[in-house]
Amino acid sequence: MVDTTRDSSGRRSAARAGTFEMKSRRFSLLGLVLHSADLSEFAADWAARAGQGGFENEPVVIDLSQLPRAAAPAAAPTEGQAPLALDGPAPLDLRAVVELLRASQLQPVAVAGATAEELALAHELGLADAADEPAPAMAAPTETVREVVREITVERVVEKPAAPAPTMIVDKPLRSGQRIYAKGGDLVVLALVNHGAEVIADGSVHVYAPLRGKAIAGARGDTTARIYAQSLEAELLSIAGIYRTAENPLPAEVAGKPAQVLLDGEKLLMQPLAF
Amino acid sequence: MTKIVVVTSGKGGVGKTTTSASFATGLAMRGLKTCVIDFDVGLRNLDLIMGVERRVVYDLINVVNDEIKLTQALIKDKQLDKLYILAASQTRDKDALKQEGVERVLEELKAMEFDYIVCDSPAGIETGALMAMHYADEALVVTNPEVSSVRDSDRILGMLSSKTKRAIEGGEPVKEHLLITRYNPNRVEGGQMLSLDDIHDILRTPLIGVIPESESVLQASNQGTPAIHLADTDVAEAYKDVVARFLGEDKPMRFTEAVKPSWFKRVFGGK
Repeated sequence: MVDTTRDSSGRRSAARAGTFEMKSRRFSLLGLVLHSADLSEFAADWAARAGQGGFENEPVVIDLSQLPRAAAPAAAPTEGQAPLALDGPAPLDLRAVVELLRASQLQPVAVAGATAEELALAHELGLADAADEPAPAMAAPTETVREVVREITVERVVEKPAAPAPTMIVDKPLRSGQRIYAKGGDLVVLALVNHGAEVIADGSVHVYAPLRGKAIAGARGDTTARIYAQSLEAELLSIAGIYRTAENPLPAEVAGKPAQVLLDGEKLLMQPLAF
Repeated sequence: MTKIVVVTSGKGGVGKTTTSASFATGLAMRGLKTCVIDFDVGLRNLDLIMGVERRVVYDLINVVNDEIKLTQALIKDKQLDKLYILAASQTRDKDALKQEGVERVLEELKAMEFDYIVCDSPAGIETGALMAMHYADEALVVTNPEVSSVRDSDRILGMLSSKTKRAIEGGEPVKEHLLITRYNPNRVEGGQMLSLDDIHDILRTPLIGVIPESESVLQASNQGTPAIHLADTDVAEAYKDVVARFLGEDKPMRFTEAVKPSWFKRVFGGK
């Protein structure tokens, strides 16, 4: 029995005319950046690192821009595992990747950085093209995924600096057994976070009170996320999956004091904050 | 306007039932029409502490299941005519508590113009405890000065702010009061117990009173008398202070300072 409060940055119904409206919206999506076109290698790695699921049918964009491509004749393929056929790396089996992701409760909605052939296959699979740059002329998306395509397309159109992610603010104490998750942004807590409570954010976690429970920043891998506390007494500190428990007592210069926690490579740094 | 007060703690054996009995009795002593309900279905003992064990014929579950009328199950206290007890069933378990039934019982009590309904919660965080707190307007969270009890109280405070009717409907939050029982200032000085400051630092919930550790509580339970009735005891005085503070009176905290044994006791020993 976990008390879960979720960010309400989703859709909210309001009185409006008509049965629908078209709006330009931005959505946070997961991106799966593939580094290898070798399906068996990817499948094994996926099973080892993410295969146990835990995704909640979240949309994901398959980013193919980092795949080792058949390079121009002059440049040798620097990346890649095995000696490849001289006429370029084996094409990625996009269909299999999609099936693999769906089996792990992810919903592939689009591909990015795809070649023309991959794009054609993507359209066949009901995926849209989420190009980062001004898109080359592209075929109309298939009908089945019209809504999804719209979401992705919007993300490409925005040229302004990225809008600030929504910040979630909590002003009542978080007690044992309570958990707050700020999806896609920062979490600011203005009251104490007690032992047994969990504060989780995709961005940074700020606690302007004693932080005694578990603090997890960069829950989706943002290594620049930080944890700030007015009094650092946390049971667990984690940034982008690198964690530390209270089994090793906190260093004296930060324990019970204003402090920030940040990630330096693979290491959590704890620094006192002087106000 | 009837107020519903839940007496809860999370941890067992900290003094919920003792507190419910004394608190309800204290309200009735002030002339307020009060009903105390035992939600600890299956392990009832409020009726024992209230000294009405032999008068229990029907209980809360009978009323919740609409088998009898509420008035048939209400037991009137022998000393205070404003005090009523609704016992729990010994033979059923907590799953027999249905939310609609509980709500109906509370509504009927409101219609009978009770000033206060005191709900004695079972230990734990399961159905019984959730039912007892669900309709609460205010809560007395009973804590002993030791770490596990304080942690459990923290959990319960979290549930009061998220699982109660008021929390779910987004109304005004349940008003929380912290009551520390079995407090022994001498053992706090010796470092064996958490101090009031330690507890406040962890829970940050307004303190409504401190009940000193005392033999007379055990004595009162065995006699079937709410501890607040024991004349000239610290416990009874402390509970009277709690009731006074609950009703908005300003009372300084008592029984929180360590008492040095007198030279007489130091020489001759004894307690």
